[in-house]
Amino acid sequence: MLDTNCSRRMGSVLAASSPNPPPPAPGTAAAPGLTVPPGFGMPPVSPVIPPTGATSGQQQEAENPLPNPGAFDECHRKCKEVFPMQMEGVRMVVNKGISNHFQVNHTVLLSTSGDSSYRFGSTYVGSKQTGPAEFFPVMVGDMDNSGSLNAQIIHQISSRIRSKLAFQTQQHKFVNWQGDAEFRGEDFTATITFGNPDVLVGSGIVVTHYLQSITPALALGGELVYHRRPGEEGSVMSLVGRYTGSNYIATLTLGSAGAHASYYHKANDQLQLGVEFEASSRMQDTSVSFGYQLDVPKANLQFKGSVDSNWIVGATLEKKLLPLPLSLVLCSFLNHRKNKFQCGFGVTIG
Amino acid sequence: MFPSLSSRHRTLAKMSGANGKKGPSSGVMDWISSACRFATDRNDFRRNLLVNLGLFAAGVWVARNLSDFDLMSPQPVT
Repeated sequence: MLDTNCSRRMGSVLAASSPNPPPPAPGTAAAPGLTVPPGFGMPPVSPVIPPTGATSGQQQEAENPLPNPGAFDECHRKCKEVFPMQMEGVRMVVNKGISNHFQVNHTVLLSTSGDSSYRFGSTYVGSKQTGPAEFFPVMVGDMDNSGSLNAQIIHQISSRIRSKLAFQTQQHKFVNWQGDAEFRGEDFTATITFGNPDVLVGSGIVVTHYLQSITPALALGGELVYHRRPGEEGSVMSLVGRYTGSNYIATLTLGSAGAHASYYHKANDQLQLGVEFEASSRMQDTSVSFGYQLDVPKANLQFKGSVDSNWIVGATLEKKLLPLPLSLVLCSFLNHRKNKFQCGFGVTIG
Repeated sequence: MFPSLSSRHRTLAKMSGANGKKGPSSGVMDWISSACRFATDRNDFRRNLLVNLGLFAAGVWVARNLSDFDLMSPQPVT
């Protein structure tokens, strides 16, 4: 579901610059009983009346509207997904589907550096279908052995408005609560998020995002963060630009806090690469990361590797042990500068 | 009390070469040394920014030009 969402929102990388469909041959007779209003085209499965010169421009515009640019938070996501995720210790995950709508999972984490833990999670997916693989509402939650809770509720209020509520507690104390609403227009996306609002104390964070498609390949947008607490308030603004090519996506975010640039390149069906640059004016630090993802479907294998400017080299290997419902994950990260090594092993059942 | 002019002249002549000019090889070595110090000095934010921007550009070039591997192609017969 998440992969379908990703490709739907970001726009298929390979189809971003797909050529316009050829105009119908002149003199093509319309199907019997079928008339086409001027300025409108028909899908290629049916013969159409060839457009006249005056209406061809309108037909071009109707056939090639600007696409929705997707969510603001997903601008750098395609590149980030190429990089391996750091994991330490031994992890075992058991997924169990109770019904078509309900699923539970058990996670046991054994760690040498931190505390070992057990987490129980559940996922409920509603029956309101809005897309090929999208069902709402979606409720996801998990709780660990110390009583700390993470929960999210995502619901599609209307065809264009989606809302989300998220809660996070540390044992019995609420540490994070936020709600957001996202509006998807024809060629833009606007989101507003309220983080940790506290009316009694007069504190909270408001984040607004706006992303607009300028051309089918170029999207520009901005983010405004306003935070307030007793005796202090401030705002931070940043701008984002994303260019989608035939097989690449280049994104740049510039703000007073720093800069973030990412380049995602799909070489072929097996190989994807990502390059990321981050600069923080507050921390006075910059870093560059290079990562790649290798997919070998015939071997049910996925390999991710990365190297960055902080002399950290990492890799993860994920293999499905078909026909068993088992997935094996091996992870290793090496910090040459600090002379530290981290290794992880995981098994997912179901 | 003061070093003689002749010894001072000898010192200056040694430093700048017999004809008063640096050799081209020592100039190139000095430039390489200063470039290496520039590239490895992590205390300067602007220098880190320039070096990492260069690495980012190099990474993008590698991704665009050196990634045409076809893993599923048949192995060449030897």
